[in-house]
Amino acid sequence: MHNVWLASSVWLALALAASIISIRAAISVALIEIVVGAIAGNTIGLEITPWVNFLAGFGAILLTFLAGTEIDAHVIRRNLGASVGIGAISFLAPYLGVLLYARAVIGWSWPEAQIAGISMSTTSVAVVYAVMVETGFNKTELGKIILAACFITDLGTVLALGIVFAHYDAWLALFGAATAVVLWFLPRFAPWFFKAVGYRVSEPETKFVSLVLLSLGGLSQIAGSEAVLPAYLIGMALAPSFLKDAELGHRFRIIAFTILTPFYFLKAGSLVDFGAVASSAGLIAVFLLIKMATKFAGILPLTKRFNFEAKEGMYTTLLMSTGLTFGSISALFGLTNHIIDQRQYTILVTAVIASAVVPTLIAQRWFMPAFMPLDPPAEIIEEESHV
Amino acid sequence: MFKKILIANDGSENAARALSAAIELAKEHGAGLHMISVEELPRFPASVDEIVEEQEEASHVYEAVASQAVAQAAAAGVKLTPHVVAGHPVSSISEFIAREGFGLLVIGFMGHTALYNRIIGSTTDRLVEHAPCNVLVVK
Repeated sequence: MHNVWLASSVWLALALAASIISIRAAISVALIEIVVGAIAGNTIGLEITPWVNFLAGFGAILLTFLAGTEIDAHVIRRNLGASVGIGAISFLAPYLGVLLYARAVIGWSWPEAQIAGISMSTTSVAVVYAVMVETGFNKTELGKIILAACFITDLGTVLALGIVFAHYDAWLALFGAATAVVLWFLPRFAPWFFKAVGYRVSEPETKFVSLVLLSLGGLSQIAGSEAVLPAYLIGMALAPSFLKDAELGHRFRIIAFTILTPFYFLKAGSLVDFGAVASSAGLIAVFLLIKMATKFAGILPLTKRFNFEAKEGMYTTLLMSTGLTFGSISALFGLTNHIIDQRQYTILVTAVIASAVVPTLIAQRWFMPAFMPLDPPAEIIEEESHV
Repeated sequence: MFKKILIANDGSENAARALSAAIELAKEHGAGLHMISVEELPRFPASVDEIVEEQEEASHVYEAVASQAVAQAAAAGVKLTPHVVAGHPVSSISEFIAREGFGLLVIGFMGHTALYNRIIGSTTDRLVEHAPCNVLVVK
């Protein structure tokens, strides 16, 4: 379709349909967008134009950046041993397990096996966070340790994606130096800049952060690295400003979720080949099982080491076995850079989606620790309601 | 007969009717009246932002619902204690009843489309089935 307006209207119609389905079904809009994208890609065929690639790529960068801004460094510092220990093992165990299986058992090349390992190494902070909020565990020390560990796992994933496929030359050195300077400079300059420009309809703060993200993203691409690496690191550097000012994050989220991330998730789904899902169902299940088994082997003993109760340990391990956004970003990186083919991409993305759903359902059905509901407004309103 | 009554309120018109009935019942029986509203978070989210936005939206809605309900109960001479929990409505409400020991759950009819009801069943059906106490459905 050469008519850009009609082509974009098809994408936005799918994004709108996904939003409505997600509200009705109370399921993540991103997950629905991937499924809607997969159905559309396998039926009507979605044309992936350069402008779609730009919007989707920018969406992935902003998603990763926003994930970085959620990190509370104080929580990580306070629980350094447990969060770094669990987080690092949570990344390394499935990364190595899946990498070795893909290379040694099914004969994928080293780069293909690397993409498989990185895609399946992730932990979905969002899935974990949602379950924590539902159970009230996000306010407990255990919940904070688990969430901090998830961020460490994600950091491992983006570092691997940014480092493993990089070209080790002068450009990489330049990219590394530029990133280091920006990471030093930004936390000092950005709060002042945000305060100086204030909230304007022209969104100077959004433009400024986007400029930094796209510039370092461009440099990372020249160095053979991946734009999500600097995005996550910049998010971490700006996390104190975003944690202090909720409105700032809200404005970024509106821009990201309205016009950018739908293109990313719809594109990620449209590249899934239903034929490959059917013909490789066994392999998809094996990848999921290896991810869960290696997370168990790595994390469960650590939960005992850090004095978690048996049920809490199982619950934590299952939640750490989930994954979605970073797994799909890693697989799409592999496909976009011609490291893996569409069949391999389909296998990995389907296994990643399954890892968002299966461990969560098992954890909530059989290993939910004692129920602790959120109950914030009761006291406030109670005080006003003496009869 | 009922010492503790729970009204489930999702802010709908049917829930408003259920609230009026629950206030009447609480007054008649001299029972304690509590209200529960459930923030339904998206399942399997891809970003923390999705949850944060959903929570902000739900808090905004349920704050108004709770204030209105407290005022309505107070006008009838009944003290109402509101609670907001996050999770799936059926399991959250059922667990809350079991934990707090309510004798009666009052709910407005909470349905979906006719097709959804036929295939999966309504929230009301499932609450009637799973709630560990008597249930009064107000239509």
